[in-house]
Amino acid sequence: MSDETQAANSGSDRPAVLMPAPTAWPFAMALGTALTFAGLLTDVSVSVLGAILTISGAVGWFRQVLPHEQHESIPVEPEEPARVLPPREVTRISVAQEIQRAWLPLKIYPIAAGVKGGLAGGVAMAVLAGLYGLIFYHSVWYPINLLAGSLYSQSATPTVKEMLHFHLGWFLFALGMHITMCLLVGLLFGAMLPLLPRRPVLLGGVIGPLLWTGLLYHVIGYVNPLLDERINWWWFAASQAAFGIVAGLVVVRQNKVWTAENLPLALRAGIEAPGLMEEHEGEGEDNKR
Amino acid sequence: MASETLAIAPTGLSTRSLAERLHEWAVTVDHKRLGILYIGYALVFLVIGGVEATIMRVQLAVPNNHFVSPQVFNRMFTMHGTTMIFFVAMPILFGFSNYTVPLMIGARDMAFPRLNAWGFWMSALGGIILYFSFIGGFGLYGAGSAPDVGWFAYAPLTSPAFSVGHSTDYWIVGLLVSGFGSIATALNVMTTILCMRCPGMKLGRMPLFVWMNTVMAGLVLVAIGPLTAAQLMLLIDRYLGGHFFDTQAGGSAVIWMHFFWIFGHPEVYILVLPAFAIVSEVIPVFSRKPIFGYSIMVAATVSIGFISLGVWAHHMFTVGMTSYANAFFVASTAAIAVPTGIKIFNWVGTMWGGKIIYKTPMLFCVAFLCQFLIAGLTGIMLATAPFDWQLGNSYFVVAHFHYVILGGIVMAVFAGSYYWYPKVLGKMMNETLGKWHFWLFVIGFHLTFDFMHVPGLLGMPRRVYTYEASRGWEIWNLIVSIGVIFQIIGILLWVADVIWSYYKGEIAGNDPWDAWTLEWHTTSPPPEYNYAEIPVIRSRRPLWDLKHPEDPDWKYE
Repeated sequence: MSDETQAANSGSDRPAVLMPAPTAWPFAMALGTALTFAGLLTDVSVSVLGAILTISGAVGWFRQVLPHEQHESIPVEPEEPARVLPPREVTRISVAQEIQRAWLPLKIYPIAAGVKGGLAGGVAMAVLAGLYGLIFYHSVWYPINLLAGSLYSQSATPTVKEMLHFHLGWFLFALGMHITMCLLVGLLFGAMLPLLPRRPVLLGGVIGPLLWTGLLYHVIGYVNPLLDERINWWWFAASQAAFGIVAGLVVVRQNKVWTAENLPLALRAGIEAPGLMEEHEGEGEDNKR
Repeated sequence: MASETLAIAPTGLSTRSLAERLHEWAVTVDHKRLGILYIGYALVFLVIGGVEATIMRVQLAVPNNHFVSPQVFNRMFTMHGTTMIFFVAMPILFGFSNYTVPLMIGARDMAFPRLNAWGFWMSALGGIILYFSFIGGFGLYGAGSAPDVGWFAYAPLTSPAFSVGHSTDYWIVGLLVSGFGSIATALNVMTTILCMRCPGMKLGRMPLFVWMNTVMAGLVLVAIGPLTAAQLMLLIDRYLGGHFFDTQAGGSAVIWMHFFWIFGHPEVYILVLPAFAIVSEVIPVFSRKPIFGYSIMVAATVSIGFISLGVWAHHMFTVGMTSYANAFFVASTAAIAVPTGIKIFNWVGTMWGGKIIYKTPMLFCVAFLCQFLIAGLTGIMLATAPFDWQLGNSYFVVAHFHYVILGGIVMAVFAGSYYWYPKVLGKMMNETLGKWHFWLFVIGFHLTFDFMHVPGLLGMPRRVYTYEASRGWEIWNLIVSIGVIFQIIGILLWVADVIWSYYKGEIAGNDPWDAWTLEWHTTSPPPEYNYAEIPVIRSRRPLWDLKHPEDPDWKYE
């Protein structure tokens, strides 16, 4: 029992606990405050009465706690001992190594592999796109401004001349979009490459760009009408291929990890319960102190 | 589960006169008594708010009805909304928090017991001031009695030109006074949890109920301030000739909306987090499993707390904000569905594979899960700006937020009442009456609020006094009003169960549910000091550890 609870009950051997003494002052102060406001709606005399009650309540309250808080001594009743239930068997959940698995892959790439692959592929893609701008328009900004095409409304489509120059807003938008898309596609590569573990270049350099280019061919008109109008599909497919090859090569150079796919959901969610978490040896954390 | 029969602590009720007993309650600073006072006063206002809702539903049950006048109808929806949010939902959840938090963390009382009493009385007196408007609001102008400006009191309706007399002033001052009480209570809950946990109860071992009330208290501290500020500004407008919300003098009516909803939307989470807290205690105990994903639940709770502070203007899509503001508030509102969805999955994950016991508290939690899910989905629909442009201020919105409040929060409150009643009063509630209450209320709820979506989709605006017969709304409104009858019967059965069980209920004993949190370790009802010895805990389920020394949780945490 803590020290504050050891106060002896006067005239009795029973232990007692000191608790805050009941007091009407908080009620008086609340009533006073409420009446002070209510006077705004009724009559000034109500506010005056409320103010008097508020001040009285505050003074009474302070005297309850200053210089020493007022307590009352409550005798302690004997407590029931805690129930102890009969021991029982806890079902242990089987984990991965004990299950005959029936699906592949056994190992996968970590998420970081997809992120790295996506960023590296994005750089390769940007180099090719920049090259296209320099060769055909003598400006590295042209493909960047084209990428930002979804920003422009139909009535405010920039001219080719305008697109040859640097525009900070367009640049930031295109950069954000490019990085986001590269990361997402990189993650997709990371997830798909274990399915074709021996042919990363085939997936990255041919299948991936084909799928992506085919998809964009149909939807680009909706998301970026300007790009749809002025796109050079050969160069686009080439930059996709550059992305895919570089991303694929970066991803396959990362270390694989065991899949957690066949672990119980509870274990993957980090549930902390007997039978799932590793058992501590001996006493618990508190007893080590 | 309730087979254990232990003697309850003597209450000594029979030795004192009624006056002495009333005096004891008036001067109490005991968190348990104040918790009961909060709940009792909320129940009184629940009856009043329920009567107001019933009057509205009678008025709208059939077209071209004149059961009450348009003026009375306006007062009814204003007082119903204000009462249910500020004087029913908040105090009843504060009551649960007040009663249970110190017990759960192994403390003897709140950090500031006298401030706790002050907070309760301020909240209660705020409600009395609001209802005094029926007598005092008439003012000098013969211009009405109770407030009639709606529960969010948009400008310029609240300006002296459109709201003569004192009715709106009663609304302002009533909420202002109760707001001070709410802030005091939140401060107390937060301090108690942070500073008064028993030895061994680290933050990571606190029951989820306590975690969620911590975040709730933080939200109250942040959210009530803007409302209080706005009300003071409105008072200045009305009394001192200010122009904060007077558009004709350079003020802004939209600013009032922002102030109100910066309070108003966190308020939804102030109400729903304690409801989550109740559900997070009941579901594991009645599934006989620890909560699934404790850490994720805590993270989701804290995320909800933060995100809820940035979604308020989804109430204002129809005002005509910029496309950037619309996009931001659509995105932030969609984002809050993520942590909320995580919670739903974790509750279901807790039930999954458990040995579920369908006692009344669990039944209400299952209903809560289903209904809150639907409420969340209609919330996402309304959070999509173009959808909201079509259905804003329609009965679809009314149905949505009643799904949140009744389908979610009230269901959880009922679950909590059946769950902790044995601890508070030492008796078990009657299961048969409880199940009747559950089924009647759930049927009534679905009759009313499922079908209320339809007239909203058909274009029926909220707050209309009556409607023409030719609009196709008649049958839906009739069904909605019939549902109210079932709900009333259900609630009457609940009240009957509360009273009957107090006198005739089976003795509960300390731990009738074989639960795991600390409050079940002490007697039912607990002594004034809660625990003779301050407990020392070593895991999230201290009572499991005591009951199962051969396989305690602390070995695995």
